[in-house]
Order: sequence, then structure tokens, then C-alpha cells
Amino acid sequence: MSIFEYNGSALVAMVGKNCFAIAADRRLGVQLQTIATDFQRIYKMHDRLFIGLSGLATDAQTLYQRLVFRHKLYQLREERDMKPETFANLVSAILYEKRFGPYFCQPVIAGLSDEDKPFICTMDSIGAKELAKDFVVAGTASESLYGACEAMYKPDLEPEELFETISQALLASVDRDCLSGWGGHVYLVTPTEIKERILKGRMD
Amino acid sequence: MRMVEEGDRKLYPFRPYVCDGMKLDTSGLESTAPVFGIGNEFLSSGFQMTPSFQLPSATDFEGFQKEAIQMVKPAKGTTTLAFIFKHGVMVAADSRASMGGYISSQSVKKIIEINPYMLGTMAGGAADCQFWHRNLGIKCRLHELANKRRITVTGASKLLANILYSYRGMGLSVGTMIAGWDETGPGLYYVDSEGGRLKGMRFSVGSGSPYAYGVLDNGYRYDMTIEEAAELARRAIYHATFRDGASGGVASVYYVGSEGWKKLSGDDVGELHYKYYPVVPAASVEHEMVEVGAA
Amino acid sequence: MTKQQANWSPYDFNGGTCVAVAGADYCVIAADTRMSTGYNILTRDYSKICKLADKSLLASSGFQADVRALQKNLEARHQIYQHQHNKQMSCPAMAQLLSNTLYYKRFFPYYAFNVLGGLDNEGKGCVFTYDAVGSYEKVGYSSQGSGSKLIMPFLDNQLKSPSPLLLPAQDAVTPLSELEAIDLVKTAFASATERDIYTGDKLEIVVLNREGIRREYMELRKD
Repeated sequence: MSIFEYNGSALVAMVGKNCFAIAADRRLGVQLQTIATDFQRIYKMHDRLFIGLSGLATDAQTLYQRLVFRHKLYQLREERDMKPETFANLVSAILYEKRFGPYFCQPVIAGLSDEDKPFICTMDSIGAKELAKDFVVAGTASESLYGACEAMYKPDLEPEELFETISQALLASVDRDCLSGWGGHVYLVTPTEIKERILKGRMD
Repeated sequence: MRMVEEGDRKLYPFRPYVCDGMKLDTSGLESTAPVFGIGNEFLSSGFQMTPSFQLPSATDFEGFQKEAIQMVKPAKGTTTLAFIFKHGVMVAADSRASMGGYISSQSVKKIIEINPYMLGTMAGGAADCQFWHRNLGIKCRLHELANKRRITVTGASKLLANILYSYRGMGLSVGTMIAGWDETGPGLYYVDSEGGRLKGMRFSVGSGSPYAYGVLDNGYRYDMTIEEAAELARRAIYHATFRDGASGGVASVYYVGSEGWKKLSGDDVGELHYKYYPVVPAASVEHEMVEVGAA
Repeated sequence: MTKQQANWSPYDFNGGTCVAVAGADYCVIAADTRMSTGYNILTRDYSKICKLADKSLLASSGFQADVRALQKNLEARHQIYQHQHNKQMSCPAMAQLLSNTLYYKRFFPYYAFNVLGGLDNEGKGCVFTYDAVGSYEKVGYSSQGSGSKLIMPFLDNQLKSPSPLLLPAQDAVTPLSELEAIDLVKTAFASATERDIYTGDKLEIVVLNREGIRREYMELRKD
């Protein structure tokens, strides 16, 4: 079994009209054994920038702490929040530092720019960025998520429609994956507010 | 009937267990009614008519098996359990089949109805279990017709164990329980593809079995009522589906008594969870941002 | 027989995706027509759907040589069945035959992933789905092959019917009309083609109902 599948995860981010949503499952497992069902996989960097880390949980947490450190240094020096594009470059650089002994994580970054333009991107474990205009996925359920998102996604959705779409896609996908699920966690970010919702899901 | 012939067998000199004394048991594979009229032989030329297993002519049979299994990824992963109590036998199982991390089905029938008085459970390779239970059903019926009485659970489980033993080392994957009611009362046997056969009061098989055993051993009493036993079996399966990633779907519970088996319940564990653990209205996680962009 | 060497590898993978949906009085069986090996496309127009009997259709992906051998085997068995019984084999009977045929190659499997669709004796649609060594299950809808992981979650979301194992039992018929089912299959394939390199070129849809068999085609992405 791949080290990326050791803990199990499902992550997805979608772009809507002047908004974005990022969602993840809530399971932390050790291979087939479920350890926790309230695990946080999505982290808030600042009010309109989120990062989800799929893959090995220990590396995800370590990586997150390094990112927080670098982001805080930036905030102190620049006295402003990081732009999503800048943050993506930062994550990419930190990952590439470990080119020959990588963090076993596949990040998903989602943010709103100062002009309220949504930005989403994913990268591999050594920092190769992949920008997308519609949606990005990561984790053990990524193949299912690709199928579900590809079929359900429509461009320029309003916030509530976007929430419905991302939730349906996430739940449909994790129900076909042994290693993720046990509920969902969705952040819906618009220029004026952040909505955080817990999804009830199948607990098997 | 065609046994694996002498010539074929030489292909596996490294497997000492397939010796002259032990032959692949293909009895029961043939249909009882003749498939062909006399003189129809020409029809069968070109493909196999006599039921038997085609074998690859590879030098490294085990290596080939491993590779082939890797490619086709047969369905696996399970929680099944069965126990004897005062009023009979309770049998329960989940219904998920997975191939690697992917769930290939959420509605597998893992409790196989061999005859009205006997059930088999399915863990391990889905095809292996399905095929050999079907085969066992045929043999049990033939036994019944030949001897004018039903086969005992002991007898049936031994029939299956002997077949599986004759295929030992060839990569079959079966972990099954044969549960039923015969003239001696309730019976329960565990049979696996390594050739094991155990008589017992309480078994659980599959990747979720450690979790099921925890609940089962904790709640088991011999003098339970049928309702209590069914609830225990259901709970054990539910808890296993919760912790084990490869178990899930529907928790089916069967009871075998002197009147034969009866399906008592089939519950979607997705709903069962919220029945056992109603969601408590937690503090709202929703919060609104007053100001945006202020660092 | 000469023994094969240790590096003997008798399988190839030619890709492809199959879907079948059963309805109250119809059955839709669909598959793409691309056949590939590795990163190469061998042909853009190869039918994966095989008519085995009047009321059973087999869609298979995997290794084309094994698929063809399997189809010919079943065709021959069906021919013999017709000679002996003077009738067409029913779909559930064909399903059991296919299972046994696959299992008899348990130690040297057909590298084929099958979906069998058809009408049962009452004229209701039925779909049987298989693994490569013959475990099978009757379902309301199914997908097999290289794009199955992309298509199944979507079909679950759109068609999820109550499990047949539930007690008390609940009615589990796909609520869609024939045309809705065809549209759904088209959407599913268009989506899978976006992300699966082994799926594309053309979609072949075969509809089986009281009137008989009808074929439809839809162009898919060719890249």
C-alpha cells in the first residue's frame, strides 16, 4: 500500500461565481482501521485563504506548522495577508526543498484574491503546481471525485448552489472509497463571509 | 469427469502437497443431467465441455497466480459472525465488497442459503465463496436424494473442507462458517481455504472480525432470547462496519432454529449509526465574518 | 506441452468502459469504442458489446483476446443450448453460465470485466455485474472497466436505489424512463472521457425493450 494511502483522505475545491468552496472528509485511519471521525484536514491561513492537505497526516500537520510560521513572518514583515498565488508559490517552494525526501502530502489551495477573484490549485508532493479554473481534487478518493465533479460541476454557480454541488460530489465519492468518508467538512467562502458546515454522512 | 491429469500435475514439481493420494476434487462440478446426446462429441471439440479448471502452463505457477490476482483484484473484505445460543444459531454479515481501496459493491449477499436448514457465510474471495457454496448446495441436495434425509452440518462442513483442502496452495481464499440445524440440534463450523475446520459456539471471520468479537464476547450469554441475540449480532456488525474500512453496507441478520432459517432483519448501517448514536445538537459551527481583509 | 518461461506474460490491457442500466421494462447497455494498449490507440471503432441471445447483451472490457475468446465460448454454449432446448437462453441463465465459465478459468483467468444486461422472463430489465473470476451480483445499474471508478459515484448519486438486502424490503426499480436513462449514460461517458485516457472516440448505446434491440451512437472526445 502506498504511503499516501496510509491515513486515507478525500479533498476537493471548486470555483463558483465570486466565491469558492473547499471540502474534505473527516476520517483519520491507519490503513483500514478508523481512528478518528472528526479529523481536520482543511486549515485556514487567513480569512480568505484555505489549504487542505491530503496524504500522510503526520506530514500534513508538520507541513501546516511550517506554512503557518512562514505566513506569519510574511504578515509581520509586509503588514498584509498573502495573496493566494503567492501562497501557492510558497507551498511549492517548501515542498521542493524536500525534493529527495518529500512530505507525503498533496495540497489543495483555495483562496479569494483582493479583487474577489477565486483561485484554486493543487500540486504534487514535490511542489509541481497545477492551476485549474473549475475544480481540483486530491486524496484516496480522487478518482471517484474526478468522475463526480466532472459530471456535476457547472461554471459560475451561486454560493448556495456551489455548496450543494461540492457536498453531493464529496459524499458520492467517499461512499465508493474504503479509506475516506465518515462525514464531511465544507468551507464556503464569499467576499463577505465564510460558512463552515459539517456534513452528516455514512459512518461505514 | 476429468481430474487434473498426471501430465498436467508434473508442471508443479515444487508443490509437494499435490501428490498422488490427493487429487483436485472436481466432483460435483459436472451437471447431473447429461449435457450431450450420444454422438454429439464433435460439438465439444475446440472448447472444454467436461467441467474442469484450465491451468496456465507456466514454470512458476505461484508467481503467475500472484500476478494474475494482482491484475484482476477479486472482491474482498468483510465482517461475518455466527454464534450458537439457547434457541439456535444466529448468523450476521455486512454487505461490502472492495477491490483495494475502491468499494466495488455495497449490496453483496454474504449469507448464502445452502438449503432451508443451512447457511454459509462469505469472507475472502467473493468468486471462490460463491462458487464453492453453490457447489456445496448441489452436493448437499444429492446427499439428501441418495440417503433420504438431510445432511448434517458436520457432514456438509466436512464436504467443503475436503474440497478446499484438495486445492490447498493454489491460491483459493475462503473463510466461511457453516451454520445450520440438523437432528443433533444447532451446528456451527468454521472452514477456511488453508484446510482448517473448527467446531465452535462463536465465530467471526473477516477484516472486521476483531471489532465484532469485542462486542460479541462482551454481550454473549447462552440463554439469550432470539430478540436479544439478533440485537447483539446486529450491534457487533454495526461496530465492525464503523471501525473497519472494508466493511459496510447493510447488516443482515439470520436465525436458524428447528424450523429452518429465517431472515430477521436487514438494516442499512448508514442509518443504524444514527439510531445507535442520535446526533446531539452541538454548538453551532457556523460563524459569520464581520469584516474582511483586516489583518 | 512446453512450459512457459518465468517472464511469460500472457495478458495485455486494452482499456474501455462499460455501463448498464436496468429499468422497469427496458435495459440500456453502453460502452465506448476505443481500443488501446499503453499510450497507443489501436482502433477508434471497436464494439465491446456482444449480443449473446435475444434478451441478453454482454459488454466487456479488459484484454481483447480474452474477451473475444469468452464471447466465442458463450456463443458456442448458447448454440448448443438452442439445439437441445429449442429456445433462447434467458438472461438469468446466461448470467449463471457466464459466472461458471469465468470461474472454470479461476487459475488462469480471463482478463475481462463484464456487465451483462437484458430482460428477464417477465420482461423487466436486469443487469448482472462480474469480477474477472466469476463472482456476480444482480444490480439495478453497474459500470465496469477503466472508467468505472469515475462513473460509479455519479450513477450512485443519480440512481441510488434501496439495497435489495433491506428487510422490510423496499421497491428498488430505477425510477427513470428509457430516454432519461440514455441521457444519464451519455452524461456519464462524456464526464469519464474527460479524465480517463482509455475511454473515448465513440459511445455505443444498445437499448433492449419489448420492441427489440435499438442501437444509438454518440461522438466522444478523440484525444
